[in-house]
Amino acid sequence: MSQEIIDTVAQYLTPSIPIKLISQGAEAVVFSTAVHPYCPMRETASGNEPTQYIIKYRSPKKYRHPIIDKQLTKHRTLSESRLLAKLFLIEHLNVPKLIATDVYNGYIWLEFLGEDLPNNCGYSNLKNFLWMYANDPYNEQVKNTLFEVGKQIGLLHWNDYCHGDLTTSNIVLAKDDNGIDWVPYLIDFGLGSQSNMVEDKGVDLYVLERAIISTHSSFSGKYNQWLIDGFSSIYKAQGKTGAKKLEEVLKRFADVRMRGRKRTMVG
Amino acid sequence: MQLPQFPGTNIEILLYENVSNVDAIRSRVVELPYAFIDASAICSVEQIMSAIYRVMIEANYNRLRTKTLHSEILLALSPTSNIGEAFKRFGLKENTKNLFMIQITQDKTSNVDKTLVKGDIIEFKDESIERMSDIETIKKIYKIDQSLHLKNNTQLSRAVVDAIQLRGL
Ligand SMILES: Nc1ncnc2c1ncn2[C@@H]1O[C@H](COP(=O)(O)OP(=O)(O)OP(=O)(O)O)[C@@H](O)[C@H]1O
Repeated sequence: MSQEIIDTVAQYLTPSIPIKLISQGAEAVVFSTAVHPYCPMRETASGNEPTQYIIKYRSPKKYRHPIIDKQLTKHRTLSESRLLAKLFLIEHLNVPKLIATDVYNGYIWLEFLGEDLPNNCGYSNLKNFLWMYANDPYNEQVKNTLFEVGKQIGLLHWNDYCHGDLTTSNIVLAKDDNGIDWVPYLIDFGLGSQSNMVEDKGVDLYVLERAIISTHSSFSGKYNQWLIDGFSSIYKAQGKTGAKKLEEVLKRFADVRMRGRKRTMVG
Repeated sequence: MQLPQFPGTNIEILLYENVSNVDAIRSRVVELPYAFIDASAICSVEQIMSAIYRVMIEANYNRLRTKTLHSEILLALSPTSNIGEAFKRFGLKENTKNLFMIQITQDKTSNVDKTLVKGDIIEFKDESIERMSDIETIKKIYKIDQSLHLKNNTQLSRAVVDAIQLRGL
């Protein structure tokens, strides 16, 4: 990736905020840092591991007109930040905490979620977590975790929000307060939106199903079932309306899958 | 103190308890080079600090909507862009007992007049602030639904920070 972008970020943040590059997507560059943007007293507080923060930067795109580019950056930075604020207000839904946003320059600061998995299994997103259990794929912890992930998606959809890019990398697991169980968080709402359209929900479910099939194919049948069980449990807790809406979403999910299959057969 | 991103700007924050001369300060608030904030409308360190951060972002990359960085802090604390409302909610009131006195300057050395406010200076930390906050008022100001699940101060503070970061955008 271009040194130019890193230099821009480093200059914006000044040398007092050292950064580590952790991801470069099509849309944004993501860094981590141990420096809080405005609570300096945080850093020395408790714990042995320093607290980490995420900086998500949307860089100017040279192929866009500069004025349009500025507007787009502002719009997308704001839209993701707003969504995180709204989603936090949904009880039991887990999303990263918004720390700061600078829409003029395209920066979002978030709390850092997750940790390194044991035995060099990588960062604790759902994808790496499932890999870690490849030798013990139907372990109770796998089942419970996938059920909980399904519940998170159910909560999101039941409240009429869609993720827009629901891959196994965009689901992050963090240890809960007791330090034993994994709690799933949904991250990266860059393509998220408020939506009551069954189509959007069906597509979310399909994207995740595909992600599970492509990386964990031998166990994907059970895995996807556990996800849908968790998803359904949220709707079923909402009585008749819930049951009816669940049926609509699952039906559309099946339609989307069917369309996907046709496309692969033709194409 | 300084914010890491804005090393040339010095920020002084004093938290006072049992203030006895609020009237005198109120009558001179416009001419004094400080922001005065009623502590009952504040629930955490991060509420104050995230508002100051927002002020610095606006000052450096956009524009100020009020006359000074100090009045801008009150606007930044507010969930709406109505300046009069912001002053009413976060400024000193007749019955204010506890307050924040904040100074933002471009010099490295602080020159805060500690004799101005007659009261006890206490440490700027969450435990002190929580003692002074009026949770119901804060929820009302930020239109945080009473039925909402925000169980503790950490969660309330998070919703408040969200509002501060997103106001008027
Ligand atoms: N809150 C967070 N805590 C920990 N890691 C995070 C957090 N947010 C993002 N990351 C890391 O950064 C990566 C990219 O973040 P994100 O998906 O938000 O950016 P993106 O540019 O939209 O990515 P992509 O285009 O690859 O989907 C994530 O996959 C994750 O590894």
